[in-house]
Amino acid sequence: MRNNLPALGFGLGLRTEHYNAILDTKPQVDWFEALSENYMIPGGLPLNFLDRIRADYPVVMHGVSLSIGSTEPFDLTYLKDLKKLADRIQPAWISDHLCWTGIHGQNIHDLLPLPYTEETAKHVAERVKIVQDYLGRQILLENVSSYASYVDSNMSEWEFISLICEQADCLLLLDVNNIYVSSYNHQFDAKAFIDGIPQQRVQQIHLAGHQNNGDYIIDTHDAPIIDPVWELYGYAISKIGDVSTMIERDDNIPELDVLVQELQIARDLSANVLRAAA
Amino acid sequence: MTQLAKLQADFQAYLLDDVKSSSFIKAMIDDNKVGAKKRLSIYHDAYRLRIIEALATAYPQLKALLGDVLFNKIAREYITAYPSTYRNLRWYGSEMREYLLTTLAQHPVAAEMADFESALSLAFDAEDVPELSLQELSAIPPENWDALSFKFQPAIKFVRTRWNTIPIWQALEVEEMPPKPAQESTYQSWLIWRKNFNSQFRLTTEMEVIALNMAVMGATFGEICANLEVEMDEEQAMATAAQYLAGWLENGLICKVTLIKFAS
Ligand SMILES: [Fe+2]
Repeated sequence: MRNNLPALGFGLGLRTEHYNAILDTKPQVDWFEALSENYMIPGGLPLNFLDRIRADYPVVMHGVSLSIGSTEPFDLTYLKDLKKLADRIQPAWISDHLCWTGIHGQNIHDLLPLPYTEETAKHVAERVKIVQDYLGRQILLENVSSYASYVDSNMSEWEFISLICEQADCLLLLDVNNIYVSSYNHQFDAKAFIDGIPQQRVQQIHLAGHQNNGDYIIDTHDAPIIDPVWELYGYAISKIGDVSTMIERDDNIPELDVLVQELQIARDLSANVLRAAA
Repeated sequence: MTQLAKLQADFQAYLLDDVKSSSFIKAMIDDNKVGAKKRLSIYHDAYRLRIIEALATAYPQLKALLGDVLFNKIAREYITAYPSTYRNLRWYGSEMREYLLTTLAQHPVAAEMADFESALSLAFDAEDVPELSLQELSAIPPENWDALSFKFQPAIKFVRTRWNTIPIWQALEVEEMPPKPAQESTYQSWLIWRKNFNSQFRLTTEMEVIALNMAVMGATFGEICANLEVEMDEEQAMATAAQYLAGWLENGLICKVTLIKFAS
């Protein structure tokens, strides 16, 4: 047992397109990941669907606008609304991305990379502690896909992640597709990434598809997961053990059944790897 | 300013500037695989594409009205004029009406349509409140009616149009040929609210607009009647107010009724 959080099994990202199918067919999905900001609203239909789906399934909250790496003070309204949603939904855990999304009160609506330095790691860790204190729980940070890297960086991404985890005592959401995308874009060894992170802190795994433009890959979440990412997932499971895993699909969204079938690949692969290791 | 703060300020300035400036490139590792310029471009382009897509989602019939080319041009200019301060892109674009009033002044239907579509989305996300039923209201003895004050659902809003914007919107919504833009003889007021989780709208007379605005501000049924008496006799005023109230109730606008105790 890595920590006191539950192992949820195999889940899917909760998407508007699937609300009715989920409620009508009660698919064989162990849990759903809800995008926090989509439900940090006064009221209305999306929250109503979330409440009803929550009644049938465990849910985790996944944010995109915490901006943990920003050099600006936290948006207190954001934190307050995040906590309010958590009180309502009672998620198994809360995650966001290891990135920054804007300063000067503005939002770029993108997961912008951070320079991998000790100074930045310390800065991020301090902020993670503030958020964890405020929410009264450990949070999960997700590694992002990146397309550019800074001259300022003086360590690998996995060393950077390790430093933050150690200083903030937070957990990890390992996005295996993002590792693949970034390793392709920046030409590093994807397995070295998995070897280099504190594996006992990985509480959740993301899988997704992407677009390969030849010289670089864009993390689009609009296609099925490709074989090299499945292979990397198997490697991650062999190193980390059983981890709650889910598929993110944000564009070109197919019928729910198609994703439930894709999730079966993850179930089978994980089971095979764990059996082989036993 | 720390090194990280400066880096973020420079990166953001690069992203917000419509022209891809070259000065920030030296902060990025250049390589012969992709190159720093192209790598930064990915972020620059993605920022605009993502926001244009969000505006298209928020203003579907405005986009249909203007066509893809003009809509995308306006969206790009809008991004520069109004960088997002929202944590969720679904709220981005709330100044579109004001923006179109000046940039597309020759096409006033556009600003009115932006106003209308924005009001529909706000109503969709508004706070959930209970709906007062006819039975609850009927339980109140008639002698108390004069002193009744009502609380309304927070989704309520009026959109005022001078053009045939709403008929155009309705046609575009069902992918039919819209009527030609035409100015109406007077301003029209459209009441927006939410019922059964969906945004609703209806044309409302100016007299009802005044009555409803009074009621939302806390005026009692008696005060609403008294105000209508400026236009008609007492009996007619009472009947008109009762008719309005029945409509508000049917639309599910009222969430609570209170008996106001006047100091005697
Ligand atoms: Fe992810």
